[in-house]
Amino acid sequence: MCHQTVSLAARHLEANGISTVIMGCAKDIVELCGVPRLLFSDFPLGNSAGRPFDVESQAQTLELALRVLESAPGARTTVQSPLRWSEDAAWKRDYLDLTKLSPETIAERKKEFDEVKSIARAKREAS
Amino acid sequence: MTTTVPGTKAAFAADYDAPIPYMQRTRDYYQLLGFSSYRWAHFAEVPFTPLRTPLDRARVVLITTAAPFQPGVGDQGPGAPYNAAAKFYQVYSASTETVPDLRISHVGYDRLHTTAADINTYLPLAQMKRASAAGRLGSLGPRLHGAPTNRSHRVTLETDVPELLRRCHEDGADAAVLVPS
Repeated sequence: MCHQTVSLAARHLEANGISTVIMGCAKDIVELCGVPRLLFSDFPLGNSAGRPFDVESQAQTLELALRVLESAPGARTTVQSPLRWSEDAAWKRDYLDLTKLSPETIAERKKEFDEVKSIARAKREAS
Repeated sequence: MTTTVPGTKAAFAADYDAPIPYMQRTRDYYQLLGFSSYRWAHFAEVPFTPLRTPLDRARVVLITTAAPFQPGVGDQGPGAPYNAAAKFYQVYSASTETVPDLRISHVGYDRLHTTAADINTYLPLAQMKRASAAGRLGSLGPRLHGAPTNRSHRVTLETDVPELLRRCHEDGADAAVLVPS
């Protein structure tokens, strides 16, 4: 949901005169929504700004995003960072494999999901 | 893992070594939980505003989906399991003078391969300060802004996003860097 939220925000800012760039890891969500500029890092979610404890990768990721911000020729510009998360891409296969979720975990997630929905509804109604 | 291309010495990457199809994964996940499929935001037209001010004179704000640490609502530290209680539901702002204590236990990041132990992986504040000090940016906005990751398109579009714009205007922003968790 984070990627969709920032995509909607980027669109609104841009339509009101503020140039934007998204630094993200979920390319499909951002591109389907449609945004002006995306610096895509093919990293696990949670690492949009670079690898952990790797200042060089974090500096390189921001610099790429700034270059996209400055130089994109038009909307829907996506640039993919050349950085790799690891030699082995098994993390992608792991993330897609939902068969590892136990029935107990699935029941727990469903309960959490319902709780979040009710909290959000209550907060909306209160505000 | 690679695969040799038949009849050549070239090697293809593994089939799964492509950007993850998160929307399909979410559909499968929701189906597993017994929910109906989610309708993702999708637009044919995309607004575009060229950067009007050279970056070394521009004011740039940072927008994040990370959540302020909330004492008493459970584990939000590195490696914490998904913590729905740590979610926030309104736009917030925090000074960029210091580094605010922002966490991502409230969202579905990849917990198998990531621990969120380094805030700099989801909040490029230190790097933006460095870029500002080096003259790469004209200035960093005085505040960063937090965007709630609401499942409701209506609330995001009608409440949260206009509020983010209002705060960016207050800060005199020319540009924004948006970083999802």
